[in-house]
Amino acid sequence: MKNGESFNSRRTFFKGVAAAFLLAPFVQACKEKTISLLIKWSGTNHLLGHRLRSSNFPTPNAKLTVPYLIVGGGITGLSAARQLSKRGISDFLLLELEDKSGGNSSHGENLYSKYPLGAHYLPLPNRDDAELIAFLTEAQIITGYQDGFPVFDETQCTFSPHERLFYKNSWQEGLVPKFGISKDEEIEFQRFFATMTDYKKGRGEDGKYWFDIPLRKSSQDAAIRSFDQMTMQQWLTQNGFAAKPLLEYVDYCCRDDFGLGIAFVSAWAGIHYFAARKHDSAPEGNENVLTWPEGNARLAMHLKKYAKGKTLTHHLVYRIGTRDGKAVVDVFDDLKKESIEISADKVIVATPQFVNQYMVDGRKEIASQFHYAPWLLATLTVSDLHDNYSYPLCWDNVIHGAKGLGYIYNQHQSVAQLQPKKVITYYTSFSSRDIPASRRALYLKRPDYWKRFVFGELKRAHPEIEQQTESIELYRLGHGMISPVPGFLFGEARTKAAHPLDDCVYFAHSDLSGISIFEEAFHQGIDVVNRILHDTTVDS
Amino acid sequence: MGKKTAKFEFLLLLAVFTIATCGLVYELVAGTLASYLLGDSVKQFSLIIGVYLFSMGVGSYFAKFLCRNMLNTFVEIEILVGLVGGLSSVVLFLLFESVSYFQFILYFLVFVTGCLVGLEIPLLMNILKDRVVFRDLVSNVFTFDYIGALLASILFPLVLVPHLGVMRTSLFFGMINIGIAILLCFLLKKELRRVWLLKTKAIVSFFILLAVFVFSPAILEYSEGKLYGENIIYTHTTPYQRIVLTHKNSDYRLYLNNNLQFSSTDEYRYHEALVHPAMSMAKTVQNVLVLGGGDGLAVREILKYPTVKNVTLVDLDKDMTRLFQTNTILQGFNQNALTNPKVTVLNRDAYIWAREETKQYDVVIVDFPDPSNYSLGKLYSVNFYRTLKALLKPDAIVAVQTTSPYFAPKSFWCINKTMREVFSNVDAYHAYVPSFGEWGFSIASNNASTNFNQVHRKVKGLRFYNYDFARLNHFSKDMVAKETEVNRLDNQILVRYFDEEWGKL
Repeated sequence: MKNGESFNSRRTFFKGVAAAFLLAPFVQACKEKTISLLIKWSGTNHLLGHRLRSSNFPTPNAKLTVPYLIVGGGITGLSAARQLSKRGISDFLLLELEDKSGGNSSHGENLYSKYPLGAHYLPLPNRDDAELIAFLTEAQIITGYQDGFPVFDETQCTFSPHERLFYKNSWQEGLVPKFGISKDEEIEFQRFFATMTDYKKGRGEDGKYWFDIPLRKSSQDAAIRSFDQMTMQQWLTQNGFAAKPLLEYVDYCCRDDFGLGIAFVSAWAGIHYFAARKHDSAPEGNENVLTWPEGNARLAMHLKKYAKGKTLTHHLVYRIGTRDGKAVVDVFDDLKKESIEISADKVIVATPQFVNQYMVDGRKEIASQFHYAPWLLATLTVSDLHDNYSYPLCWDNVIHGAKGLGYIYNQHQSVAQLQPKKVITYYTSFSSRDIPASRRALYLKRPDYWKRFVFGELKRAHPEIEQQTESIELYRLGHGMISPVPGFLFGEARTKAAHPLDDCVYFAHSDLSGISIFEEAFHQGIDVVNRILHDTTVDS
Repeated sequence: MGKKTAKFEFLLLLAVFTIATCGLVYELVAGTLASYLLGDSVKQFSLIIGVYLFSMGVGSYFAKFLCRNMLNTFVEIEILVGLVGGLSSVVLFLLFESVSYFQFILYFLVFVTGCLVGLEIPLLMNILKDRVVFRDLVSNVFTFDYIGALLASILFPLVLVPHLGVMRTSLFFGMINIGIAILLCFLLKKELRRVWLLKTKAIVSFFILLAVFVFSPAILEYSEGKLYGENIIYTHTTPYQRIVLTHKNSDYRLYLNNNLQFSSTDEYRYHEALVHPAMSMAKTVQNVLVLGGGDGLAVREILKYPTVKNVTLVDLDKDMTRLFQTNTILQGFNQNALTNPKVTVLNRDAYIWAREETKQYDVVIVDFPDPSNYSLGKLYSVNFYRTLKALLKPDAIVAVQTTSPYFAPKSFWCINKTMREVFSNVDAYHAYVPSFGEWGFSIASNNASTNFNQVHRKVKGLRFYNYDFARLNHFSKDMVAKETEVNRLDNQILVRYFDEEWGKL
């Protein structure tokens, strides 16, 4: 999934959305020959989240006043907590629906390994992303500087070999097929990457990159922005790209990063995937990514320090309004089963728009313009992982022709020689025109169905996987990530949804950026705090 | 008359059935062996099936030239199929290690078997054409042929390979094949000419196969012995590796996963070169650490210095160190080094252990296997040496075995360069070890001002090293440094160099 910031998204979450947690953890024994397979069926706390729709909560029986309140403990919320602290403000509270903060950057752990429950890597930052570089330095992911380049900690960069592709019955290095494609197809790949390099370097008349991260830094050039009006598939066709392996590769990248394939995703977003990362923060254009066994939960952990002692978990916000220039927030405490009313000078709503529509009046219409792809993750503990040994196990392992996005080897960053059991996490997003139908299917079909689905996918490369699997955790993300369909990135919905209420309720989330990557959420958190504090200064 | 024809026909159809079953079994055996020995099962199976079917066609074509003594020929072919097919797996097993044109022999055997099987059906139809209505004949022959094929393809993976193994499966079916020939000899003696000759041929062939069948385990062992070219006196498979000890004349050799670990006649050269330079350069040698080297041979050299107070040996494989603590032959090699009270043996993953260890050492000897895969490659990375540096006293010396500068110069100098990233004072040296060839080491000191030519202590009785470091420090042009990158966990460039260089040999 590299080179695709797949999942580097996280979507903050909050009710119903985000992080990991056992939903209805039920254990099913499944007889496979003599091996009994343990299935764990989990996902975000969507039952509690869905309660929002009913608005059926007890009347608040207590009141609390805080100057600053953050709603939602995903990367945006945590980043906002960090930025508040950096700006000298320690008097804030963060509310989280799940049992822990982290949002899409959460993780699970078993006897053998930690494993991500969502976002699992961060590409090396662009060199001019000073905020992110500062954060990585404080987290000791950047350990120093050499010849003006940041030095990344060797153990946090993806170990070699990075990625492999199972193509025509054989593994090969990298995700772009080198063997088994024709000369013409190879030439088309080269032309595609050359075009992407042009877009990577290209700048508009305003001097800004055409494609940049965070997205708001990208150029205003209308010609380039018009790509948002078409699908990636239309753009490929218009530009004469027709080689099947290339289309499949780009489709894979889009599903990986946006949850939707080239038939449904905006061309601007599709190109952004290839052109926004400048690979300029390490010498020789190093395209490696940072990763950890627990995925981006590592980054969330570094951010959580700033919200320590100020986070209330199991707290579901069900109403946000304003009264006399102050924000009034009604919160349900899922442990005590009672509600409180919190009054705050400023509220940062770091939850996605499909959640906000139930908390803030009059936002249903706008929320309907935000589309979120559902995801399924399956973490398998296997006694062995036989394949045809055509290329060794990598961090990222992609099976060509499968519905899903392949799997991550979670112990890849271990320095040990051997692992008693291997733990891998398979990912799939549901790319279709009818997203709600996919989401319903994800929740309605039984674990046994999804187990067979996952095995069917993995058996293409690992015929014996079913016999070698000892346990599976199926993890569902009903709203896995914001999907930039055509017209969304530069349409009105994002701007409208981000507009503050009465200068006291502010909105921040990666879905307001339009793509679901760590960097966007991280900057959303910083930007919203800077905006609030600037406003405050002006007011006083 | 009708009854007799029916019996005759039935017998021959039974023969067809057997041939079809056996023929397919031989084909499957060849395919399985080819994928075992050569890898890439899809390719091997599809080539074998293709060649087999094609050669059946060839056989069918030539059947038209056989028009005399057809029944005799039929029985003879039956015997021949049994013999060739039955022995094919044994031949392939034995030749695999010693013959460079193995694939040719493989396909040749498949071709011969295919031809013989291909001959039989047209031949049989010719034999029966005057006795049975053609319409029935064609149907019956092919029905039995295909049923036989089905039976073989079901039995082979489910019953035969699991219970008999590949070699015995083909021998067993060879015997069935010949068994049918013998049966035909007895039951059709009136129809056949010179029955006694056929009988003799059949029975002799049968006993050949039976004998091979009985001795097949010994043959398997022999073929593994041939792999090493020496007598195997001990084998043991641990969770981490396969240990094989061989003996020939006065030489014992230890192989780990088929890679030579040491030869008892010249290992002193390797271990003296690995240990004594570092031991003589270090200011003090009270606490010594050995990473890898579970054979205890490096420890044996270290213990020659009386000022050594303790030696810590970290080796992943518990079975390996236990073997060298308890086996008399092996204990003889390391002179009981691993049971010496000064020695602590820890069966841990060296990298993980080094990250947790807090004690510091005067000398560290690193004797890991060559970086032949990505797991081992981690043990030669910048990060590993950085981890190691934290375990060093200020004046400590580290010696590392770093593969052959002659066979793998890029790998050799890549490790050296990687160590330079961490240590300011690094040098390289090499020694000739006949069983290995020219072998190399890198040496580093934690103190930048350490002089590698200064000898702080010596022991007597060494056979190879004379404490003249400069003599081992000179590299001829064919072993000289090439431009290489630094090996890091995130590039593992060393494994690529190593694969490229040793892959060429």
